Amino acid sequence: MNTIRLHNLLFFGCIFLLIHGITRSATSAPLKDSLLGVSPEDEIYYKGFSSSSAIKCKDGSKKFNKSQLNDDFCDCPDGSDEPGTSACPSGKFYCKNIGHAPVILYSSRVNDGICDCCDGSDEYDGKTKCVNTCWEAGRVAREKLKKKIATYQEGVTIRRQEIEQAKLGIANEEGELLKLKDQEKILKELVEKLKERKEQIEKAEEKERLQKEKEEKERKEAEEPKENEIKAEVSESMQNDNIGTVDQPPQDSAEDHHESANEPELSDHSVEDRLPNDGVEVNEGPVQKTEQLGEESTFDDKTGLDTGNQDDNIAEDTESLSREELGRRVASRWTGEKTEQHEEFDASIDKDHQNPDETPNETNDEENNGYVSEYDDHKYDDDDSEDQVDDFGGEDHYDSSSSQTPESDDESDLSDITGTSGSWLEKIQKTVKSIFQAVNLFQTPVNITEAAHVRKEYDESSAKLSKIQSRISSLRQKLKQDFGPEKEFYSFYGQCFESKQNKYVYKVCPFKEASQVEGYSTTRLGSWEKFEDSYRIMQFLNGDKCWNGPDRSIKVKLRCGLKNELTDVDEPSRCEYLALLSTPALCLDSRLKELQDKLESLNKDQPGGHDEL
Amino acid sequence: MKITSPSLDSTLTVSVTILIHLRPFTPQKSPKITEILDQLTISPDSMIFLHNEFRNCNQTPFCKRARSRKPGACPLVAIDVSISNGDLVAKLIPKEKSEENTENGENPIKPLVLTISAYQDGIMRLKIDEDQNLSPRKKRFEVPDVIVPDFVNKKLWLQRLKEEENEEGIFSVVYLSDGYEGVIRRDPFEVFVRESGKNGKKVLSLNSNGLFDFEQLRDKKEENEEWEERFRSHTDTRPYGPQSISFDVSFYDADFVYGIPEHATSLALKPTRGPGVEDSEPYRLFNLDVFEYIHDSPFGLYGSIPFMVSHGKSKGSSGFFWLNAAEMQIDVMGPGWNNESVLMLPSDQKRVDTLWMSEAGVVDAFFFIGPGPKDVVRQYTSVTGKSALPQLFATAYHQCRWNYRDEEDVYNVDSKFDEHDIPYDVLWLDIEHTDGKKYFTWDRMLFPNPEEMQNKLAAKGRRMVTIVDPHIKRDESYYIHKEASEKGYYVKDATGKDFDGWCWPGSSSYLDMVNPEIRSWWAEKFSCKNYVGSTPSLYIWNDMNEPSVFNGPEKINFIRLLIMNLILIEILEVMLISARDLSVVTMPRDALHYGDVEHRELHNAYGYYFHMATADGLVKRGDGKDRPFVLSRAFFPGSQRYGAVWTGDNSAEWDHLRVSVPMILTLGLTGISFSGADVGGFFGNPDTELLVRWYQLGAYYPFFRAHAHHDTKRREPWLFGIDLVQERNTELMKEAIHVRYMLLPYFYTLFREANASGIPVARPLWMEFPADEKTFSNDEAFMVGNSLLVQGIFTQRAKHVSVYLPGEQPWYDMKTGTAYEGGATHKLTVLEDSIPAFQRAGTIIPRKDRFRRSSTQMENDPYTLVIALNSSMAAEGELYVDDGKSFEFQQGAFIHRRFTFSNGKLTSSKMGTATGGNNKFASECTVERIILLGLSPAPKNALVKPANQKVDVEWGPLLLRGGKGKSFLTIRKPNVRIADDWTIKLS
Repeated sequence: MNTIRLHNLLFFGCIFLLIHGITRSATSAPLKDSLLGVSPEDEIYYKGFSSSSAIKCKDGSKKFNKSQLNDDFCDCPDGSDEPGTSACPSGKFYCKNIGHAPVILYSSRVNDGICDCCDGSDEYDGKTKCVNTCWEAGRVAREKLKKKIATYQEGVTIRRQEIEQAKLGIANEEGELLKLKDQEKILKELVEKLKERKEQIEKAEEKERLQKEKEEKERKEAEEPKENEIKAEVSESMQNDNIGTVDQPPQDSAEDHHESANEPELSDHSVEDRLPNDGVEVNEGPVQKTEQLGEESTFDDKTGLDTGNQDDNIAEDTESLSREELGRRVASRWTGEKTEQHEEFDASIDKDHQNPDETPNETNDEENNGYVSEYDDHKYDDDDSEDQVDDFGGEDHYDSSSSQTPESDDESDLSDITGTSGSWLEKIQKTVKSIFQAVNLFQTPVNITEAAHVRKEYDESSAKLSKIQSRISSLRQKLKQDFGPEKEFYSFYGQCFESKQNKYVYKVCPFKEASQVEGYSTTRLGSWEKFEDSYRIMQFLNGDKCWNGPDRSIKVKLRCGLKNELTDVDEPSRCEYLALLSTPALCLDSRLKELQDKLESLNKDQPGGHDEL
Repeated sequence: MKITSPSLDSTLTVSVTILIHLRPFTPQKSPKITEILDQLTISPDSMIFLHNEFRNCNQTPFCKRARSRKPGACPLVAIDVSISNGDLVAKLIPKEKSEENTENGENPIKPLVLTISAYQDGIMRLKIDEDQNLSPRKKRFEVPDVIVPDFVNKKLWLQRLKEEENEEGIFSVVYLSDGYEGVIRRDPFEVFVRESGKNGKKVLSLNSNGLFDFEQLRDKKEENEEWEERFRSHTDTRPYGPQSISFDVSFYDADFVYGIPEHATSLALKPTRGPGVEDSEPYRLFNLDVFEYIHDSPFGLYGSIPFMVSHGKSKGSSGFFWLNAAEMQIDVMGPGWNNESVLMLPSDQKRVDTLWMSEAGVVDAFFFIGPGPKDVVRQYTSVTGKSALPQLFATAYHQCRWNYRDEEDVYNVDSKFDEHDIPYDVLWLDIEHTDGKKYFTWDRMLFPNPEEMQNKLAAKGRRMVTIVDPHIKRDESYYIHKEASEKGYYVKDATGKDFDGWCWPGSSSYLDMVNPEIRSWWAEKFSCKNYVGSTPSLYIWNDMNEPSVFNGPEKINFIRLLIMNLILIEILEVMLISARDLSVVTMPRDALHYGDVEHRELHNAYGYYFHMATADGLVKRGDGKDRPFVLSRAFFPGSQRYGAVWTGDNSAEWDHLRVSVPMILTLGLTGISFSGADVGGFFGNPDTELLVRWYQLGAYYPFFRAHAHHDTKRREPWLFGIDLVQERNTELMKEAIHVRYMLLPYFYTLFREANASGIPVARPLWMEFPADEKTFSNDEAFMVGNSLLVQGIFTQRAKHVSVYLPGEQPWYDMKTGTAYEGGATHKLTVLEDSIPAFQRAGTIIPRKDRFRRSSTQMENDPYTLVIALNSSMAAEGELYVDDGKSFEFQQGAFIHRRFTFSNGKLTSSKMGTATGGNNKFASECTVERIILLGLSPAPKNALVKPANQKVDVEWGPLLLRGGKGKSFLTIRKPNVRIADDWTIKLS
């Protein structure tokens, strides 16, 4: 306990007034009042002298008699015999400060030549004259207090609203999460099927191509035995090889392919196959990547455990079904027909999902999503972006302005998934159905239109899936945060608060990170760690390393204010920053009550006699 | 040997990136910079202080030559020995006249003039110089303003010369003091002090090993290698050629030698040559700004005092001081260094040989005969002056950090001390408070109202200190620079232009403080009118006054440059050009001072003159009524007259905590009483335990200041009070600071003793127990005054510590009052809450047990006397009190009491000197409590006379705080005034 000011000690004020008569005359001989410096709480302790000649020191170490009370010699190590002098180093002196707030001082302040109590009661040895400034100081303090109370009163209301909204928001998001998980499951199956179909097509195409190549070669060999042309041929085929494993019909040269496939999906596809990780590197921060993978894999494990036993049996069943049958069943899943087959299906998809060979592919798909998202965004933006964002406008604003943050993709994606989810799912599902019905797989040569169609559907669906997954992951990420006991910090999520100090802009993004921006260079001050000190401090740790110093870190102290406002960023110790954030989230009812009580007691404490001054 | 920070190398690389990052708009410069930085980073040890980085003896021609000379090589003999003007005079010439011309060609050895003088109190002075009548090329430099004017008056007028002859040759003998004689042997020439009588034992001698050499100034005849000197491709032009002096000095009956600061080494100096000493360097005395110095190294640090003290069980102490400000190297020879020991007869005197080598100057040496350690210190300080009596506040706790950034920071730190009830007296501002490192200015963004700030602190009885360094920013708009350059007050380079070096502000010049006129001009700058923003409660800190020059010839102080926030590519550009040219962290030796003195001749005294000028400035500011307080990093003999010094930029390591003790003891031994080490360690972050231990030890340093580097974490005591466990650490630091405040009356009395007699505040054990051999090499424990023994704890999580308590009387634990037998080593359990400290039986320590915000508020507080009785139930002690700030004490305005306890009676009497305590200083202070340790049987009552008043005797604690220990007899509220004579009789 190091604070000397105790605010709530005025309950005994009135009683004490009766006993006490010399407050204002700072220079009067004090020790006449043997209870000088005694706080109202302690009066009862010193009343011990009325019944016995000696009482025990508070710590029980010793006894002292009445003549030893405030006799300027320390008898009790805890200072209980010297409440009004400086004799005991651990003593405390109480000044009443009528007209202002009472204060408890270290005994080292008594008669040290410095006026510490506004009533001057700490300087009574005649060497220093102190003017009683309590009324003046008290008035200023009360004004301040009133203002503070006003802020709190308004702030408390805002805070309540925010809590309401937070609760709503959380409920919404939890609901959404559940829904998305269902959708994810379904979509996964679909994607698997499409993939299988696509691969079959590709296999057929490859076969055709080889066949054609062979024919071509034979033809050429017969026609042109010249060396030059052979060389040219070799180089061309090498070129083809370089372009990769993309299954092109033999008649399609690389150029042709590009021309014919203006659609982004196709070119993406080729990129993806060649460089499966590119999309990741470009679009997503490494941290986000690992998190997603982590989530994904735990999810997989769970599923694996749940369904492990059934897998084998069902796998056989599924295999025995013809492709058409499969397709129909997939379709029926959403048209509501033959629900009894539902279980069987789920299981088969789980099984596929577990196939280790497919895992990289799947990850890849998901990440590839980042690559095409721009395109998707445009596509879906118009439909359904509004309803979600109303509740947290700041979030939306922030996301759209900062392109490099991983959450931005997820968040903007959510619009096309959540809004009219039913309709798009149906759409996909119908398309798939039609594919399965229309395409004759075993027909040679491959129907090019149909093949493209399958590819397109596959790409779109897997993009969708990955979007859903990333949304799930980001929702989970969000919902596992500590939003405070009443979720009052919910609205901080996804928000950043900025403050410009000289040449630096400080940016604090709760639950995420804090940084210092100077022109184009950004220094990380820390990543979100936690709330501290009963939600009065936000702590960010492990920022960029300081030369010859520690890793940067920042503490953001929170205080009640009417809006979220970052002020006073400071670096009290090298690379350890401190900032102040005003926020309604800190406008606590209980604190308001405290302040009101304090004001009330201050007002109550104005003695009628004070008019004299 | 250990490398302070192996990681520096990599961090540097990082910073380089930052550096280049800083100025993306000058990309064309980057490759060059990278190149130089690469070169600098290639060798990791170039980034930190290591011997091989600074120049060693072998790279220093005069040192190499002197070290390789064989015993007996000196050809000189003394002739024409006679008495003249009260001195013994003689001429030194080579024995074989014919050798002159063959060996030295056109530079014949001219006769040297030797003078021996005697002074009161057992001091012999020996001077050897070129003969001015033979018109040497120039007058060699003799360091002015070091010897106190009063010393001249102590000269004895020698009248008689006694001639003696024996098988060793002819001797001329003069009287020195009762029981001692000064002697010169003619052939080979040798000078020594002996006990009186023909067979008197030698005390100290010079040239007994025939290693004396004196390189005379020569004219430059032709280009030759020897003339100029190169170090790391820096060329020292040496316009006068080699001019070094070296000689051997022997200390007889000595077990150890001590002194010659400043080195981070043991108190008893280890041999640097002789059997078993490998690869060792001599102790170097060359003031340098050493970055992250390592402990246990003979390398010279920030200050130099060429004064050595010997001590041995049989004889006691003697001392030798060479007043010379050029670079000096000193070897301590181990036994058998010259294979002589084999030949030594048992009857031969045991001795320690030393070799003294200096680059320039003259021989002006002082022999101090002792015989006690305190006698030697008294004798030495009668030559160079006693410690100034500091103001009371300066002996209390100082809070420093590089940097308290702005006024808000200052107010916050100030109020936190109050909030935690931790006293402090002085808050310090490092270089960042200035406007662009222009001293005497303020960064008005950070410190818009410096006067108001100082006044607010002063209202709580607190002072502030600002830093003022000797490098002056070369900025035409800076008034100091403008005046200094107009008046030609700067040190000149070898070509006669203002020397321009790099320091904190960038391009800087250095005031030529050797010139009294310039010192006087400088002193004026401290008046409150001239130093805008200063108030009378502001005092000064002189840093970097070695002088530190970042791009000087010894080594580029690259790290310093980096710290300057990488000052930027422009500077590195300059460095790029100069890196291979210059070699130093200080000024080139051929820079020129007032009177055409080369920097090489006075280098070690530069900081001293700066310190002097600054202290004089504060005296002038206060109209001669306010004692100055100036802390200096560089020092030289005599610095004790001008203020405090500290041990420079140490590190937050246990080894540095440990080495602080011998460093401070050595300073005290060589006259500088008021010294301390940065509590907590300047570089690096101490863990809490180390910090607590440092506070506990630092509370007993004569100068008690916490300081921390810019890049370290904040470490003010309350920052360790986050939770309950941590809270304890804050409590412990607070407790340590309280111990200091409690003992302030004792400390202040000791500072007065140092002021009067030169005896330091912190003393090696052997200074108090000169006959106890076990104390001779003990530098983990020390005495504060004659009454307190303090043992540091220098290891982490120490459980036990062995403490040797010397003497025959018991010792009382300062915290618990437990008695321990003297003359024994005690294995004690180490406590977290304090380091072991003991009061010696037979002493009385005055304390003030009430804790205030600062020492200022303690002025009227009553005293506690702690009487530790010896086996004869007796004790004595002193208390010195004055106004704590003015020079009035010099006119007798003080109270100086002696307390004696014997036969059950405590007596307070005036200390018996004529100047002692007239009535000019009055104090109403009383004694509120007297604690008696070791008294039996227990008395019931006490009678105070002359008041004839009975007072209670009861059982009470030894300490009011933290002590849950035993109870001790306590005289309750005798309330006698300290100004009065009185007795208290127990019955």
